[in-house]
Amino acid sequence: MALSADDRIADIVTARSRLPHVRRFLNGAPASRVVGLTLLALVLAFLSVYPLSMLLYGSLHSTPPGVAGVFTLDGYRDIASQQNLLTLLNTVGIALAKTIPSLILAVLLAWILARTDTPFRGTLEVLVTLPFFIPPILTAMAWGMLGNPQVGLLNQLYQWITGSTASPINVYSYGGVVWHMMQYSVPFLFLLIVDAFRAMDPSLEEAARMCGATRLRTFYTVTLQLMLPALTGAAILSFIRGIENFESPLFFGSPAGIHVITTDIYDSINQRSPPQYQYATAISFVIMALMFLIILMQWRILRGRSFQTVTGKGYSPAVMKLGRWRWATFAFCALFFAVTVVLPVSQLLIGSFFKFFGFYEWEMLTLEHYQAVAGSSEFWRAFGNTMLLGLVGATLTMLLGGIVAYVSVRTKWRGRRLIDAMAWLPWMMPGIVLGVGFLWGFALLPHAIPIYGTIWALLLAYISLGTPLSVRVMSSAYGQLSYDLEECSRVHGAGWLQTMWRIMIALVWPSFAVGWVLIFFGIMRELSASVLLYSVGSEVLSVVLLKLWANGSAEQVSVIGLIMMAMVIVFRWVQLRVIKRWIGAL
Amino acid sequence: MSNVVLEKVSRKFGEFAAVNEIDLRVAEGEFVTLLGPSGCGKTTTLRMVAGLEQNTSGRISLGNEVVSDAASGVFVPSERRRLGMVFQSYAIWPHMTVFENVAYPLRVRRRPLAEIRDLVSRSLRLVEMEGFSERPAPALSGGQQQRVAIARALVFEPKVLLLDEPLSNLDAKLRLQMGDEFRAIQRRLGMTTLYVTHDQSEAMALSDRVVVMDWGRIQQVGAPEDIYRYPANRTVAGFFGNPNLLDASVEACARLEGGRVQLDVVGHGWQGRCEAATEVQPGQTVTVMVRPEDIRIAPAGTDKDGLRWSGRIAHTIFRGPTRSIVVEIEDGRLNVDAPAFGGYSVGDNVTVVVPRHAAWAVG
Repeated sequence: MALSADDRIADIVTARSRLPHVRRFLNGAPASRVVGLTLLALVLAFLSVYPLSMLLYGSLHSTPPGVAGVFTLDGYRDIASQQNLLTLLNTVGIALAKTIPSLILAVLLAWILARTDTPFRGTLEVLVTLPFFIPPILTAMAWGMLGNPQVGLLNQLYQWITGSTASPINVYSYGGVVWHMMQYSVPFLFLLIVDAFRAMDPSLEEAARMCGATRLRTFYTVTLQLMLPALTGAAILSFIRGIENFESPLFFGSPAGIHVITTDIYDSINQRSPPQYQYATAISFVIMALMFLIILMQWRILRGRSFQTVTGKGYSPAVMKLGRWRWATFAFCALFFAVTVVLPVSQLLIGSFFKFFGFYEWEMLTLEHYQAVAGSSEFWRAFGNTMLLGLVGATLTMLLGGIVAYVSVRTKWRGRRLIDAMAWLPWMMPGIVLGVGFLWGFALLPHAIPIYGTIWALLLAYISLGTPLSVRVMSSAYGQLSYDLEECSRVHGAGWLQTMWRIMIALVWPSFAVGWVLIFFGIMRELSASVLLYSVGSEVLSVVLLKLWANGSAEQVSVIGLIMMAMVIVFRWVQLRVIKRWIGAL
Repeated sequence: MSNVVLEKVSRKFGEFAAVNEIDLRVAEGEFVTLLGPSGCGKTTTLRMVAGLEQNTSGRISLGNEVVSDAASGVFVPSERRRLGMVFQSYAIWPHMTVFENVAYPLRVRRRPLAEIRDLVSRSLRLVEMEGFSERPAPALSGGQQQRVAIARALVFEPKVLLLDEPLSNLDAKLRLQMGDEFRAIQRRLGMTTLYVTHDQSEAMALSDRVVVMDWGRIQQVGAPEDIYRYPANRTVAGFFGNPNLLDASVEACARLEGGRVQLDVVGHGWQGRCEAATEVQPGQTVTVMVRPEDIRIAPAGTDKDGLRWSGRIAHTIFRGPTRSIVVEIEDGRLNVDAPAFGGYSVGDNVTVVVPRHAAWAVG
């Protein structure tokens, strides 16, 4: 027995030494781990590498997916036009134009809410971050009604007050696009930088004051300098979001003839007949190249300096006493909330009760839109789809993110970098680009795998879009746990699975819950990929809203918008109340 | 027989050897300390015994079972080695109560609930924490976390108890107290214990034997008294306390009873007799170690069988029980521990003497 066992070992050893690479890969790796890692890599490849390679394939192929054609470079030839240069300039210019004022506003808000004694700071913080969680399509529609040059409520108010007939506000303009983006990016930036303001050690500033620096000089030479990495990082992220943005240019740019790359992709598939697939995929590469350049720049600037994401601890740093000015800062925050949330929600509320939006008279009051929506099978189907996709999608995305983050952060297994890179790849792809990639990808799958045109197409796209975020959330959660906690469990008799279940999962699940809610919100507001991948039967709420809006049913849009808004507020409340309490218990 | 045996164990990272071919035998019930500066390989050694790191060569056995043998590819994972371990950070799981933390090793082994209750409360009583079992773990002080970590490591009566710098996060007073408690518990249970520390006073106070490590190798193994008095080399000598190390050349060598040798040495401006472990050829240079507490300031002219220097007091520092005196001699400076109120003042010319048995020469 012993002899045969030794022989077997000797056999294995010699067999291994013949294949040095294989041996190095397999060394110490049990078969189950190799199988698991391969499976994980395949899933990730399908979610990120596959749509990317399909994009490349599509950009070189002359016909729509699934139709026989020839390989040409026409797509790339077509995008080299003067019109597209303007589109490119628009894309970059609008993203830049919204990032700078947003950053200034966000810094101001962060400073007010983290470092001054402004009253009701806790409540204000919840309120000013709320716009981040509202699907942009809702505010876009609300502002479309508010700032409509003919019948918009704001213009009507202006005319009523001044008696003139001019309409000073027109959201269908560059200003409208930038303004709408800012409503989303101010709270986004705020969430990214507020912890940097909060976590700053006040003694660093006090030391500067003791050395004789004035308040202002202290702010410039110490506070701002310390914040700089966080501010730069956040600004670049916001810039990227600006380039990826689809809703704002779609609603406010396209009607005014202002085109950016994302709406150009959308138009070339949805608005032209026949759809220009080759052009759409080719221009997708332009935006990805742009994103890649920005991300390279981000790496160079940040050099691995990371900054806090949305979670945070309750610090209580020294706050500045503002005296009577604290009511001014309070008013500033309240005003921001009023303009970004109260105003659009009121518009939706008003719009939902009148027969036609824009004609606000007593006899026009009606509940018929509510009845219409409640009786619409399309709405209920979309509602069901959105909830199903949100629940299943967020859960699967976080599970995948949790596994990828564990492999890349907590292990030294071979292949972990590849897995990490594949999970990060969709970060470079805006929703609309990923949508195009999957459109090709699903159409080219064998018929035995019927994903094309089903709800699963949307699910896969959502998981792909959410994975970079979920990996990030889970990586930082794992990063905070010392290795001792895991090793201690192993030494005291628990196997790998038991340790995962009883220690790691038990400790990181609050982060899991936080990430889950973020992903859920992301799925609820997703429009750009959904609008390319849905088909009859698999609509989601955002797509239904867009269709109704395009048909001119602004009143029903208001009703659905209010329902979605209520869902947002309920979920946000659950997130703040319940999850914060769970985390607090730890 | 529950003991730990390491045979030619190494841990290499590429060319660099964190641990280089060490041999060590820990007998059953023995308390052995791995001592050395940070980066000397002591923690790596402990982690290899724990199975948290794999040795690149050599063999490790616990009891009569080989748990890791690089040559034949045997590697028993941590969880099957039946060990108890206390981590430097204590690694108290923050999402569990004290009871759940201590019960963990039993729970993962699927023991019946009644037995778990019984063993956990016994273990908590041992560390005097029985009143805290329902406390959430983050609500404990450092010393209490430490006790919970010990209770957890002992609860299922492991073959060997491993301790990785368990006292380094405590304040000085608590460190002394917890160290004494460790030793008391270990003696009572007769548990084989491997302890890692960089603190020499901890090592001396707790251990049956001390293993001094540096550069991934074992420098000396022995009882704390032996290592303190008869260090094997300059590294070990310098590691304990703050001894005076003086270069000298050997003039004569004679064997003493009990295996040691007596050397006549000549230094720069001084000469006398000291002891050493092995014979040294006349003419060779040695380093003579003299501990400050063994030096006496003597009236001039006293002649004795040992070493003597004359010099001037450069400065003195009052330390409470003693007074540290720095005596400037021709060869440099000597640190002397003198009575706190001996009436010495800076500038006095003094003669200092050391008996032969307190002067130890190393190669």
